[in-house]
Amino acid sequence: MKLKYLLGSVVAASASFASAAFAETVLRLDEVAVGELDPAKASDYADSILMFNVYDTLVLPNQGGPGHSGHLAESWTSDGATFTFNLRDGVNFQSGNSMSAKDVVYSLERSQALGSGLSYLFAGVGAEAIDDSTVQFTLGAPNAAFVASMVRLPIVDMAYVEANKSDEWGESLLSGTSAGTGAYAVASHNPQEVTVMTKWDDYFLGVADAAPDTVRLRYGLEAATVRTLIAQGEHDIASQWLPPEVIKALSDNGAQLLTETGTGAFYFKMNTTKAPLDDVNCRRALASAFDYATAIQMIAITDSVSAGSPSTGAIPVGMFGANSADMVQAQDMDAAKAQMAACSYDFADYDIEVSWIAEVPLEERFALLMQSNFAQLGIKSYIKKLPWALFAEQVSSPENTPHISQLFVNAVTGDPDTLLYGMYHSSNPGTWQSPEYLSDAQVDSFLEAGRAAGSEAGRQEAYAGLNARLMDLAATIYGFDRQSVFAASNRVKVPAMTDPSKAFGLDGLGFSFRLMEMTE
Amino acid sequence: MSQLFGILVRRIGISVVVLIGVSMLIFAIARIIPGDPARIALGPNATAEQIAKLRGEMHLDENIVIQYGFFIKDLVSGDLGTSLYTNRPVTLDIAQFLPATLELVFLAGIIMVGLGLPLGILAARFRNKWPDHLVRALALLTVSAPSFVWAVILMLLFAYYLPLFPIAGRLSDIYDIERVTGFLTVDTLIAGNFAAFFDVWHHLILPAVALALSGIGQAARLTRANMVETYEKPYIEMAQAYGFFPHRIARLYAFKPSLIPSLTIIGLDFAAMLGNAFLVEAVFAWPGLSRYGVNVILRKDLNAIMGTVLIIALTFLIVNIIVDLFIAVLNPRIRHSTRVQS
Repeated sequence: MKLKYLLGSVVAASASFASAAFAETVLRLDEVAVGELDPAKASDYADSILMFNVYDTLVLPNQGGPGHSGHLAESWTSDGATFTFNLRDGVNFQSGNSMSAKDVVYSLERSQALGSGLSYLFAGVGAEAIDDSTVQFTLGAPNAAFVASMVRLPIVDMAYVEANKSDEWGESLLSGTSAGTGAYAVASHNPQEVTVMTKWDDYFLGVADAAPDTVRLRYGLEAATVRTLIAQGEHDIASQWLPPEVIKALSDNGAQLLTETGTGAFYFKMNTTKAPLDDVNCRRALASAFDYATAIQMIAITDSVSAGSPSTGAIPVGMFGANSADMVQAQDMDAAKAQMAACSYDFADYDIEVSWIAEVPLEERFALLMQSNFAQLGIKSYIKKLPWALFAEQVSSPENTPHISQLFVNAVTGDPDTLLYGMYHSSNPGTWQSPEYLSDAQVDSFLEAGRAAGSEAGRQEAYAGLNARLMDLAATIYGFDRQSVFAASNRVKVPAMTDPSKAFGLDGLGFSFRLMEMTE
Repeated sequence: MSQLFGILVRRIGISVVVLIGVSMLIFAIARIIPGDPARIALGPNATAEQIAKLRGEMHLDENIVIQYGFFIKDLVSGDLGTSLYTNRPVTLDIAQFLPATLELVFLAGIIMVGLGLPLGILAARFRNKWPDHLVRALALLTVSAPSFVWAVILMLLFAYYLPLFPIAGRLSDIYDIERVTGFLTVDTLIAGNFAAFFDVWHHLILPAVALALSGIGQAARLTRANMVETYEKPYIEMAQAYGFFPHRIARLYAFKPSLIPSLTIIGLDFAAMLGNAFLVEAVFAWPGLSRYGVNVILRKDLNAIMGTVLIIALTFLIVNIIVDLFIAVLNPRIRHSTRVQS
């Protein structure tokens, strides 16, 4: 009798849950652990996905083109160093509190105080709530990229945090719960396992019925596990970190491929302080000898989709100052030999150190390609594997920095300033982004002009000049413009990652769940 | 009883010393691993000022002895600090991740003992006959492949090609169970949700078997070898000469003395599973402490490394104390020698 009762309850419970599951749509995706829920600490891809769905920002990048549009802000004005944003009326946080200029000021101050994530974007920025719906930011100097940086300032519900916090800035609170205006609210969060988010029906822009009702963002799934889950119909979008051959296998089995493009590139950075690479002709010889076409083949996933597109210069296609997409770089061994002849050093006296980051196995393949290319010129090189932590320490001194370092770098706001200033301005030598130790007055001047320009035309001119100058200096070999590729089931439509006219051009924003459509 | 109590007190005393030693060793080693933990924690875009601030907060600029002093001071008050990996208190992380691993390791241990010992006895009982050959072949097969290989094979066989078991996680998405103890086998019962309870077991089986397989082989081989050796003892020959039934000889005279060395190894294996569970947890997306431990080591998350290693060391010591007590119960000579020494 007891067994009968037990089985009955199991069947009944299963049936009730099955019918509940039928009624709602669930999107399942994965990312690398851990998921950081506190918006002031968000820095990597998983964090960005959480941030863009749980919180909102004053502006968003335009879809399918350059520039930004108001989001929580209706409009803004600027005189270069002061930006005044007029906030949208009637926006509520998930707590029910209404959003005001005080929340914007609090969010900025909280980010600056915690000093984590991308808070460096707001160093030296002051904010004042002029009235409930007007907030003014004051910068130390004119910065045309400031509006773009607003996409990294998620607005936090000050009243909610103040009422529920257990530490000064509510770190404990916001590491486990949401306090935003976003279209999705956090139902549960385990930073190593899964974050469950549910659609918030009172979102100020409304959320389409077709958008997923529940989202389960899992962390740290192994490639074999993801492959099996997708094949079994138990997973919807795989992370971009799957090996290309796994993505291809999934595609061959009917998975669609989603792409996100436009904010970064893959670089081979040459240490310009270390012989023989302190001679520009030696650097040019290496840049000419690199086999760009084979590099692109190495990252191809299918015949039509690749994890990158050919590089056209120092600035990724689509950004201010970029060359047109047809001006692709190519290997030129004759030019390389001529440049080598003009080099003041004899390469025979040197053994070029080519490093790769241990956590990114793909880079070893590029190191081998580079070694093979250089060998064609009779240049000796050796490959060195460096864990990220060790690399970040080594590049802090030019003597310890390898001759060549391989890096993926992204513009965290989508603006070229956040991509290029940190890499090439002479005030930022010896960071992980700038192992070139480049110090060039013209480069500095172009970077400063790009930051200070009051118009898009002015920025275009400054960055075009910078692009030409960087190519001439050949401090970096520009491998390819990066494209993130995600294998996905056909249960979900993601226009922002399949239709270029809907793309945001900012890492992670394509994963705005409110803009997705579930077909089952 | 007093002899057992004496053994217990001695083992606890030794364990405390071992724990202190482990804490000192790991504290030093964690600081020798290349890389600045503050830089790693704050990410590639952190400024020099941010890094310097965090280093100050973590006392990383102090002498290592002073740093250890801060650690012990916090540890005494139950504070293991904040994880730079999850940005949460380490104690909270451990409380969340440890039950998942313990649940997995306990079941794997039960499977290991439940299958390994009987298979070893069977092989010894039918020495050089087909059951013996079969068990030895199976044992060799399970021992020769690491757990993560078994994890992938089992997942492909029983979750992909034959979809009998779930692929990942501890519980199906449709269930929302309040975490009271963190042990889902218990929490589902507390919630009175039997469907979820069965679902938890359904999720547990494949990873637990994958984790247990190499231990099963080892336990079977060891038990067989010990029993074979015991069968050659004069008192077994005497029992056989008296005409006792074979199963009675195996149960009463051969098994008990053979169990002692097996128990020691099983105890070590059981505790070692805590560390070995990492790859199984990775394959089955099991949110456990072993996976957490590896991730925090890769990120040089000093506080979390210390917390995780201490917890694993503590569990290891507890299991070995229990094994020692078992052995003392089984083997009067050990109790006797302890009494003489004391």
